[in-house]
Amino acid sequence: MWESLPPIAQQLIITVIKVTILLGFVGVNFLFLVWMERKISARMQSRVGPYSVGKHGSLQLLADGVKMLSKEDVRPATADRWIWTLAPLVTFFPAVMLYTTIPISPNWTVGSDLNIGLVYLAAISSFTLVGIFMAGWGSNNKYSLLGSMRAAAQLLAYEIPLVVSVLGVVMMAGSLNLRDIVDAQQNAWYLFPQILGFIVFFIAGLAELNRAPFDMAEAEQELVAGYFTEYSGIRWGLFLWAEYTNMFTISALATLLFLGGWHGPPFLPPVVWFMIKSYCLVFVMMWIRWTLPRVRIDQLMDLGWKFLLPVSLLNMLITGIFVVMR
Amino acid sequence: MSVVRDAVRMARSFVTGMGITFRQMFQPAATVHYPDDKPDLPTGSRGIPVLKVNAETGELNCTACGLCARSCPPSCIEVIEETDANGKRMRRPLVFNIDMGKCMVCNLCIEACPFDALEMAVHFELSGYAPEDLVFDKNQLATIWQNFDSVRIAGGEKIG
Amino acid sequence: MGTGATRMADRQEAMADKDMARGVVLQPQDTETMEQAIRRRFEAEELDRRERMTINFGPQHPSTHGVLRVLLTVEGETIIDAQPDIGYLHRNWEKIVEGWTYPMVIPFSDRNDYLAAIANEQVITGAIEKLLELEIPERAQLLRVLVFELQRIASHLIWFGTFGMDSGAVTPFLLAFRDREMCYTLFEKLTGARLLYNYLRIGGLRNDVPPGWLDELKEFLDHLEHESLPEFINLLIKNEIFIHRVKGVGYISPEDAVAWGASGPVLRGSGVKWDLRKVDPYLPYDRFEFDIPVETGGDAHARCLVRIREMQESIKIIRQVLDQLEDGPVMAKLPRAIRPPKGEVYHRVESPRGETGVYLISDGSTKPYRIHWRAPSLIHLQMLPKLAKNHLLADLVIIIGSIDIVLGEVDR
Repeated sequence: MWESLPPIAQQLIITVIKVTILLGFVGVNFLFLVWMERKISARMQSRVGPYSVGKHGSLQLLADGVKMLSKEDVRPATADRWIWTLAPLVTFFPAVMLYTTIPISPNWTVGSDLNIGLVYLAAISSFTLVGIFMAGWGSNNKYSLLGSMRAAAQLLAYEIPLVVSVLGVVMMAGSLNLRDIVDAQQNAWYLFPQILGFIVFFIAGLAELNRAPFDMAEAEQELVAGYFTEYSGIRWGLFLWAEYTNMFTISALATLLFLGGWHGPPFLPPVVWFMIKSYCLVFVMMWIRWTLPRVRIDQLMDLGWKFLLPVSLLNMLITGIFVVMR
Repeated sequence: MSVVRDAVRMARSFVTGMGITFRQMFQPAATVHYPDDKPDLPTGSRGIPVLKVNAETGELNCTACGLCARSCPPSCIEVIEETDANGKRMRRPLVFNIDMGKCMVCNLCIEACPFDALEMAVHFELSGYAPEDLVFDKNQLATIWQNFDSVRIAGGEKIG
Repeated sequence: MGTGATRMADRQEAMADKDMARGVVLQPQDTETMEQAIRRRFEAEELDRRERMTINFGPQHPSTHGVLRVLLTVEGETIIDAQPDIGYLHRNWEKIVEGWTYPMVIPFSDRNDYLAAIANEQVITGAIEKLLELEIPERAQLLRVLVFELQRIASHLIWFGTFGMDSGAVTPFLLAFRDREMCYTLFEKLTGARLLYNYLRIGGLRNDVPPGWLDELKEFLDHLEHESLPEFINLLIKNEIFIHRVKGVGYISPEDAVAWGASGPVLRGSGVKWDLRKVDPYLPYDRFEFDIPVETGGDAHARCLVRIREMQESIKIIRQVLDQLEDGPVMAKLPRAIRPPKGEVYHRVESPRGETGVYLISDGSTKPYRIHWRAPSLIHLQMLPKLAKNHLLADLVIIIGSIDIVLGEVDR
């Protein structure tokens, strides 16, 4: 029966199945990551974390999701209606769009095997900035505005080191295609030759995600919750979903570019290796969040422009010299 | 060069800090799973002042002298002495209410009592659904005394 | 709670001839509220430029250490002015105690600076004992030193936790509270209560230490000195991000600190070596060897280091007390009703926040005629406009955290 369908229908059905799996993964990943964050932060603080709902709190997130969906939908009367309403969606959709181009194993891609994978990623990840600014502006609230302007400045400043740090990897692999980059790491990870690039990528990634120590924009201590003060219930849930989805994306990218992607000893399938490495990096992100204090906004800007950018350019220079000499 | 030295010092301080939180993960949590596990409170822990019952006669030791009510800073004790039909004072309380909504468990009432009628019990789960539920009368106080640990002075030793 | 206008009018009159008032404290006219005063100054100094915003910081805010409201005038991120507005926790303490007898005042005084209850009890019992010219037994004096220093450690642990949380690191808050929980357990075994003890009495203490308590205290001190404090220092104090956040923030020069009446770690962080335990001892501190930590930085970082070293010095003092402790009574002989002779007295102690003082006027009866409470947090809060000027918004939280205020004693 399968053979009787025209090839284009076959492709369509396979693509629809893959997209469904992908969206399911986005959902399950969110639940797992928030559970992981709460448990890890609790253990580091001599607490227990979620405990009663489900075994070791595993179903806590489902309960929280139901709670968020059942909350009263409050919209500030003076908010700019469409901008305020669309902001969470504009922040969330790019996060999902990025997933379609991340190869998690040798045989998987949804959509085409993009030969400009990295450029696509860099471009789409800039959309988050628009969503954050819409949230701050649409709320019609001094605190949100201050918070979103801080966040916008921060995201703009860290886009550049994020992308430049990856150029070293691109030069060594000779291609922008993510699959080729992973294949080029068959023998040795790019972590050691590109250690500077990895550090810059990781720090810039943390800043892009608005995670501590760079979470000035949503710092509870200062402006209540920054640009998403006026959002409650599932709208706030969407912002959170976008943040955790992006967290996994940055970790997955770092795995692909620097840690050899899905390569590993053959006793585990490649996709499992990929997941292990990505979740290890996610753990490191959470570990950093719960240990380090927050960096002040002007120090953050200094760090981005005056430290990370020169270091990433230096990395590019050194890599370029080696590649030419080879 | 100083930039590199600064960066190294920064990295070293982060690694030390992260080592501490990492090691913290493997130590037992300090959480008490209340209400499944009750906390282990020491004796003398102040919860609510209660009325002692004499073991032989089954009566309260209290003679309704009112010294406790006079020594209470927020005035949360109400004592009314029982009088019989002729108006003779019976030296026992008709009414003995403590308003836990006002009580600050300072222990002054217990120290003021000359008849060893009051003690401080460890019972702290005192909440109710209305402010009136927080007013405990003499029967409730005697019941709590019978069911919970109580002492006159924490640390067990008397003053002076 | 009086209206803003009457309080400001009183303050204005008091500072009418002081140069410090110029440009630092608002001087509203008779029937003005604080907001109207700010608006008038806005217009007078042509502050009506689009970049300047007036933001309300608090009173409901996760990080103002209590219900404090600060009226901020910011230009972008820079603070131009920060006016504290207090009174949200006013409970009318000084008037209520005029109707209570002296033993009743002591548990009530706990609630002023609720994070360092022993200090409050010490200052009020010390004042009454001064009027009565009462000598308390030696064991009681040494035990008072012991619980006072233990209370100092507990209070600085809270300061450490909340200061870390203000700068963004949440983990030290919970770790500090785990250690403070051990202090709570020690106090509970000793007095029966965890936070507000009613332990110090006129003439001594309520009860002696229970058996085994001194050994538990030694265990706690060992744990704090060898495990917890080095951990806290490595986790937060030596963290470079934290140092960059607090260095240079909230500077006050030694002359200004003395002029504004600062005391405690705020004064010692600016280089002035002044500690009431050495200068005007209210308990036998001269029997113990300890240093006064002084830092010359004058900023939040210096105050931070002073408090950490104070914790270490307190541990030293407690160990010496444990060595010198001898048996004896813990309460002096007193008449049934405490009736101090007519007179006035000012008594002060070195509480964890600074110089806590009490001015007591007795008219010879069992109830005080007037008690005025000198709260160090209130004095320090007056410096806030000066400390916060030209800093960023994020620094305001650090500044309020570094002067370590407790709204209970600011508002009473």
